[in-house]
Amino acid sequence: MKGLSLTQKQKTLTAVSVFFLLTWLWASWWMGDVFRMAREYSFYATEDTLMHGLWQQSFGLLWVIGRALLTLYRWPVVGGLLVALLLTASIELTSYCLRLRPASPLRALAYVPAVAWMSWIAWRGLNLYYQQEPGIALGTLFLGIVVLALDAFIIWTFKKPHPQPLSNGRGESMPQQSPFSFYLSLFILSLFTFVPPALITHLRHPYLRPVTKMEVQMLNEDWKGMVETAHDNAKLSYRPIAAYYAIALVQTGQLAENLFDIRLDYDSLYVKGWSGDADVGTTYYLADCNFHAGLFRAATHTAMEQLTMNGPSLHDLKLLTRLALLDHDWALARKYLTIIDRTPFEGDFVERYGAMVGDSAAVAADPVFARVRLTEPVADSFESFYQSPIFLGYTAVLTAGRSMQALQQSLMANLYSKRMPDFLMRCEALVGTTPPRTIAEGLVTQTIKNPAILQAFPQLQMNVQVFRGFVQNVQPYMKDRARGGIELFDQYRGYYPYYYFFGNLKATRKKEDKEHGGSNAGVN
Amino acid sequence: MRQLLPSLMGGVWGWVFFFLSSCTTKPTAIPTAFSETADSLVVFPDYRDVTIPPNIAPLNFMVTDAGASEFVASIEEARQSQGSPCLVVGALADGKFDIDSIAWRRILSDAKGQDLTISIYAHRPAGWVRYAPFTLSVAEEEIDPYLSYRLIEPGYELYRQLGLYQRNLTNFQEAVIYENNRSFDADNNHCVNCHNYQAYDTERMLFHVRASHGGTVIVNGSEAHKVAIRHDSILSSGVYPSWHPTQPLVAFSTNKTGQVFHMYHPEKIEVLDEASDLLLYDAEANSVRHILRTDDALETFPCWAPDGQTLYYCSATLPESLYDAAASEIALKYDSLLYNIYAMSYDSITRSFGEPQLVVDAAGMGKSTSVPRVSPDGRYLLFTLGDYGQFHIWHKSADLWLMDLSRVPYMGQPSPIYGTSVSHVWDTPTQPAPLTDANSPAADSYHGWSSNGRWIAFATRRIDGNYSRVFISYFDREGRDHKAFLLPQRDPEHNTLLLKSYNVPELTKAPIRVSNEKLRHVVLHTEAAPATYIP
Repeated sequence: MKGLSLTQKQKTLTAVSVFFLLTWLWASWWMGDVFRMAREYSFYATEDTLMHGLWQQSFGLLWVIGRALLTLYRWPVVGGLLVALLLTASIELTSYCLRLRPASPLRALAYVPAVAWMSWIAWRGLNLYYQQEPGIALGTLFLGIVVLALDAFIIWTFKKPHPQPLSNGRGESMPQQSPFSFYLSLFILSLFTFVPPALITHLRHPYLRPVTKMEVQMLNEDWKGMVETAHDNAKLSYRPIAAYYAIALVQTGQLAENLFDIRLDYDSLYVKGWSGDADVGTTYYLADCNFHAGLFRAATHTAMEQLTMNGPSLHDLKLLTRLALLDHDWALARKYLTIIDRTPFEGDFVERYGAMVGDSAAVAADPVFARVRLTEPVADSFESFYQSPIFLGYTAVLTAGRSMQALQQSLMANLYSKRMPDFLMRCEALVGTTPPRTIAEGLVTQTIKNPAILQAFPQLQMNVQVFRGFVQNVQPYMKDRARGGIELFDQYRGYYPYYYFFGNLKATRKKEDKEHGGSNAGVN
Repeated sequence: MRQLLPSLMGGVWGWVFFFLSSCTTKPTAIPTAFSETADSLVVFPDYRDVTIPPNIAPLNFMVTDAGASEFVASIEEARQSQGSPCLVVGALADGKFDIDSIAWRRILSDAKGQDLTISIYAHRPAGWVRYAPFTLSVAEEEIDPYLSYRLIEPGYELYRQLGLYQRNLTNFQEAVIYENNRSFDADNNHCVNCHNYQAYDTERMLFHVRASHGGTVIVNGSEAHKVAIRHDSILSSGVYPSWHPTQPLVAFSTNKTGQVFHMYHPEKIEVLDEASDLLLYDAEANSVRHILRTDDALETFPCWAPDGQTLYYCSATLPESLYDAAASEIALKYDSLLYNIYAMSYDSITRSFGEPQLVVDAAGMGKSTSVPRVSPDGRYLLFTLGDYGQFHIWHKSADLWLMDLSRVPYMGQPSPIYGTSVSHVWDTPTQPAPLTDANSPAADSYHGWSSNGRWIAFATRRIDGNYSRVFISYFDREGRDHKAFLLPQRDPEHNTLLLKSYNVPELTKAPIRVSNEKLRHVVLHTEAAPATYIP
């Protein structure tokens, strides 16, 4: 053990280094995607015209600085490095201001501000940026460092004699700490640093990392990655996960096969809207879903309203750029690209989409655009005629589409909403074909009430046998469907009759309300 | 300071920007050696061959030439022999010309009624080139120096930060008339709209406050108060206003308005009235009464003639089947609502109105009008004509049209024609005509005259189809419009970067007298006094 003995200076340096590495890990890996998306929902430029609204606000300068720092999260490793450096600096400054000697047990106090800030960030969850000022996160960290630095400077200037510097090695004169207890304290430090914020995220916002990971994957058009992320978190039941999963399925052409592979019951997100009231978070993914459902006008509407309420954000500006390109509104696309170009590190986006301005063939050739075009409406109507969210409400009642994908999306919207009469009506277009797996399973659920389905789709006989077995197996759970939903998930994951009876029970209740003359059934 | 701080305090990017900006100098002289280029000049805003007022702020502009590292512009009077330069302006690679305001003022003053020739030189790797010069015509007549407008994100339903502003057109100063919340505040969230002045003066003006702290703010000089123009007999509150030119009266429309969003259409939004009538509000007595109250007609956009003896307005006939129809049913008929322009004589002594007369039979053309505005001399009626409806700022078909009222035979001779078939004006020599030089393929709508009748300021989405901007067109003594120019900004890129639209441009001769603080107090801390309804 003698070889492991360290001077106090080395111990201090080791502890600080461990803390630095842990916070870097936390800020770049654990929370990297979260901060990356905070950056996407933020906007920073040097032009007053673009930042005017932010400057006008109380603490506007602080939020501007916070947003400027957030731009580094274009690469979470780099952004995380900055956060780790600032948090590590906070330890040194706190130690100096409180005159915490390196070997003192009170030295642990120096870590408190940093861990408290990390825990606060974790506690905020999506509200780190959703309907909140995204500059707050790093703005407050920056402010804390400035306050500590000023405090330290004042102490250094006016106090005589100066407080002992933190790492001057004099700690060697203090009682020696055994190597074992040092490494134990390092371990405790590691737990103390990483566990509270990680635990808060894991317990209070378990959806946060999967959702932001899927969004980052969406930015990279990694649709398969999104599907995998959703599958890896299949038991988490939150609307944003379901929304981005559906987007990925649309882009990979798997919607009619895999939509019900994840739980769709929707626990609370614990997020607040601008008013401070609890919010279900629909607007978080509404514009993206409208876009990928081919509802470009509705997507524009949603994105513009987000831009109005939240101020400019990269997310909304990028979406509006794509929508302008799809509309062949070249001047508008150029405007948005000019604005996006004013924020650092967005050259790739500007280059890719800038090349499409004025080139309708290039727009048509883009695979994402080509996919969403397939489900664009074929006739005009008004948003207010449909139930919200519009990407479900409109799609469910679609009567004419421009592709088989449009029909499949409509069928899946009805299966999802358990609007079986509408589903069956649209299935008539599939007579004579072999329906995709989930649609076939949806048809089977209706064969008891409507045996004629088997005449139209005789190939479903096998599915009927499976369905009967399912019905027998799940009988014990029919009186407590919520419990059944959880306990049967592993066994029947992805099987539509399971979803029909045990999944998304809010939609089931709405359907039953309608059947019993209650309130209007709606898509959920 | 606010312009500087983002650069200085906004992190490393601000510093980079700051140092890059300060390490280069703009050229100050016309190059001695250059070649002519036939390349077409890419300039924004497009100020080529426009007519401008002699008191307008510098028309800063930017030139795009990918290969050029610096630029020079020479601005000289066209009448001068050999074109000795009057003003030389340099620009860096970004092509932005920031014209010295004192030199600009001097040159405009000298060039009243004359043309200016602008030559652009670009420094390319192979040497300097000169583009073909263009012309600016400087009119004799000045424009009213103040322009009020609202800045708000275009369209849609929600709002957060918006305000009414007054721009000094002789420089780049923009004063706040009123701004709502700077950050979201659910209890105090409100919208402001429909600012309107009496006879181009700021002694009397008004604007509406919607949602929290709702009411209509009436300004008298440096004082203001809030009123509520509501009653069970009135459809909603007062909406589109028009001050009587001399009396303390305001004609309002009162509208039950809805907004619907297209799912698949070249247009994005339709704004429709389920019902609308006309009101007369007495600002001194705080009383209101109906001018027109009908089930079968949708009256809106009232506008007084400058002599105060005629009230113009738009009106569409509502099919009987839609009298009590739900908004969604009316929405389905959105493109069948066609608005004509009518006029009623007004007796200022008895405060009574004559019978409505058809002035512009747009429906007869299969078109629809909105926003009638009479020139200060009473001779011309300027309005917007589009394919349907009345909220033309969202219609690509919308253009500015003009009618010569001096040649309408029956004006001033009321006849009881409202609601009956009429002999309209299309067969007369006074057919309205579009402002062909001022209009664009995009929506050209809300407009107003200058007090001398020589300038028309209007909102248009011509730059990008989405964000409305103020353009100004010269209207000469012969009644001809000229190519319109974009409201100049210190940074020519301002209009590209700004994510808000300019609404309701209104020219005035003087700055607003009431303070922003006073208006904030009135809006946030006073109750709206209910107007008395006179049956």
